Amino acid sequence: MNLLCTPSHIVGIKNPYKGLRNIFTAGYKNMLLDFSLCCTSGELEQIGKKEAIKEMTDRLKVFENPEKMSEAMLPLLKQCEAQKVHMPAAYAPYLERNTKHDDLNGLLFQLAKESIKVCGQAGCKNLVIRPLFAGISSENLWKHNKAYYLGLAELAREQDVCILLENQCKDFNGHLVRGACSLTEDARHWIDWLNETVGEERFGFCLDVGVCNLCGQNMYDFITELGNRLKTVILRDCNGNRESAMLPFTSVYQGRSQTDWQNLIRGLREIGFDGELIMDMRDTISAFSHLLRPEILRLSKKIGDFLKWQIEMEIRLKQYSSRVLFGAGNMCRNYMKCYGKKYPPLFTCDNDRTVWDTEFFGLTVKNPRCLKELPEDCAIFICNIYYKEIREQILEMGIKNPIEYFNDEYMPSFYLERLPMKEVPLKKQE
Amino acid sequence: MIRIGVQTKGVVGDTSPREGFRLLKKAGFSCADFSLNVYLTNTLLYQNEKNAFFNQTDTELERHFERHKYAARESGIAINQMHMPYPMYVPGGKNRLNEYLRDIVAPKSLKICAHLECPYIVIHGFKLQHFLGSEELEWQETEKFLDTLAPAAKEMGITLCIENLYTSIAGHVVEGPCCDAKKASERIDRFNEKYHAEVLGFCFDTGHANLVGIDFEDFITTLGFRLKVLHIHDNDGIADLHQIPYTFTKTRENRVSTDWEGFLQGLRKINFNKVLSFETAPVLSSFPEEMGEEALKFIARIGRYFAERVETV
Repeated sequence: MNLLCTPSHIVGIKNPYKGLRNIFTAGYKNMLLDFSLCCTSGELEQIGKKEAIKEMTDRLKVFENPEKMSEAMLPLLKQCEAQKVHMPAAYAPYLERNTKHDDLNGLLFQLAKESIKVCGQAGCKNLVIRPLFAGISSENLWKHNKAYYLGLAELAREQDVCILLENQCKDFNGHLVRGACSLTEDARHWIDWLNETVGEERFGFCLDVGVCNLCGQNMYDFITELGNRLKTVILRDCNGNRESAMLPFTSVYQGRSQTDWQNLIRGLREIGFDGELIMDMRDTISAFSHLLRPEILRLSKKIGDFLKWQIEMEIRLKQYSSRVLFGAGNMCRNYMKCYGKKYPPLFTCDNDRTVWDTEFFGLTVKNPRCLKELPEDCAIFICNIYYKEIREQILEMGIKNPIEYFNDEYMPSFYLERLPMKEVPLKKQE
Repeated sequence: MIRIGVQTKGVVGDTSPREGFRLLKKAGFSCADFSLNVYLTNTLLYQNEKNAFFNQTDTELERHFERHKYAARESGIAINQMHMPYPMYVPGGKNRLNEYLRDIVAPKSLKICAHLECPYIVIHGFKLQHFLGSEELEWQETEKFLDTLAPAAKEMGITLCIENLYTSIAGHVVEGPCCDAKKASERIDRFNEKYHAEVLGFCFDTGHANLVGIDFEDFITTLGFRLKVLHIHDNDGIADLHQIPYTFTKTRENRVSTDWEGFLQGLRKINFNKVLSFETAPVLSSFPEEMGEEALKFIARIGRYFAERVETV
């Protein structure tokens, strides 16, 4: 699974060097190829308003000349190559949700085609192209989009690009409600019909977490019903009422996140998601001083890595032929509830000598010294938040088995109540 | 012919039910949604507490509601629908409480419903997705609960109605049980086939749907004939305010931000001919008491406007 950074408010289209440097320094190896950098939704909205467009003297007007997209993106593509920043996914230009234009669908088609061509040049395999919506009634959405996407399929095949549809919200007099592809049934139908018609897997799906949040949708259901059609996920936070792209876990109320990360992680974990994770925190970045942005980028990378780690939890359990646990508390209990049958541990161990040789949710609790007798390929999953300390303890015991961290913050299911907390001092048992 | 109704909460009390039903009639309603939930509130239940109301025997309960029944009849008001107390399962609640809700409150609610000659009772599905992991498993628990009521409901000629609900994540409202019209329709059909009777139907709540951006028209047309009762009310898309339709706007153009046209179009498409029932009790506490009657009249007037629009071919 790749973790991508969005370039908006970080990378300049004409002088991308410094922004890309910051992205790379923050630890990102991948970036979203965002065509809005050269053709923004704001610019598209200004079409027809002469005064506003005159002010843009120092940039190529891609919205007027879509064929200049490649030229406009060239400095960025060159720098990405030089700095070894990869772009496994891209995003085509799009209109504002409350656009006043219902006459730009032809232009969007041109821009989508140019985006596909640039993706082909850059070796970018996934391109998000939002469904058309402006000036189209709900009943006719599929009819128009069917023609739109089919019209792009041949070029996408030539350029070896997968076109990703995305869940949309629509602006109903200022209230953002469910729009095109916001029902999984529709999304599945559109993608399957398109792929069947073109005779290959040329279309997939991009899930925008922000849109799901705005429409109060259960992401677990959305994701599991999409299954392997899901190729990319845009991770962004918002308060559920106004559209914004904030750093995950930063839209909070009374100490709790307002986005349902629980169901997102559950869903992605269940389908074994292995696509592109896109960190979109453009509004958070923009709100911070330029001087602080590199720090935000670094934090965003850590948050992205954390989410990736949570999503891949089951993949890690699966990759070992056998495993033991370290810890005999709530986390171990949760492991046994959700994964005990599928990935049964040989035993668990605990530093609390009073529980040695007892049974805990079907597992024998042993002295950690027993870890010395493990078969070579058996992994030790630490089921206790004192990961570092326990890891050190295991390493100091001279044990060479793989050590992994298990975590129960985002589990497939939960007990209705927690076990009473017990105070167990961390001490090494030699 | 479409009729207009409103919930009894805030209007019909135990002291003088006749006064309340007469007021409803005077305001222009011919139906009522009997708020049985006020006798055992959700606030109390979520505190893991209960009261003694449902400890009364069947006879005592019948006696308690006798005056309501005749007051409604005398006033020309049909009790078309009723709201069972909710939640019927408190996640993390005491076993004793949840058993009491299932074994005592629910069956007694059904008996009260029959006593009031009310054909529909609205039941909240269990909110367990967080714990069980999926909406499907959550539904299975709700279905088990409905199974405990269905035989009696069939015998009494009552249709249990599930409702689209919401839940909350840090103050942000997100979809809860029964927010997928297609799944709900399949489940209703399967359930009714099992009991060889129309024991399960749907209650579409416009306010809850608006909070999670559901497409009204699409939802209603997918439900079709399974739609039995309505909870009509409005909000700002953020909080469950239970206000009068057409109240909220979000832009300087001041166009309504709830899709009432989609609602009417959906009802028209399915030839809805039941009761347009408003769940707008909070209006009575937000308006001055002296204006309560006028507020009710205005709600009934909106109901008549809706009815005219739905009935227009």
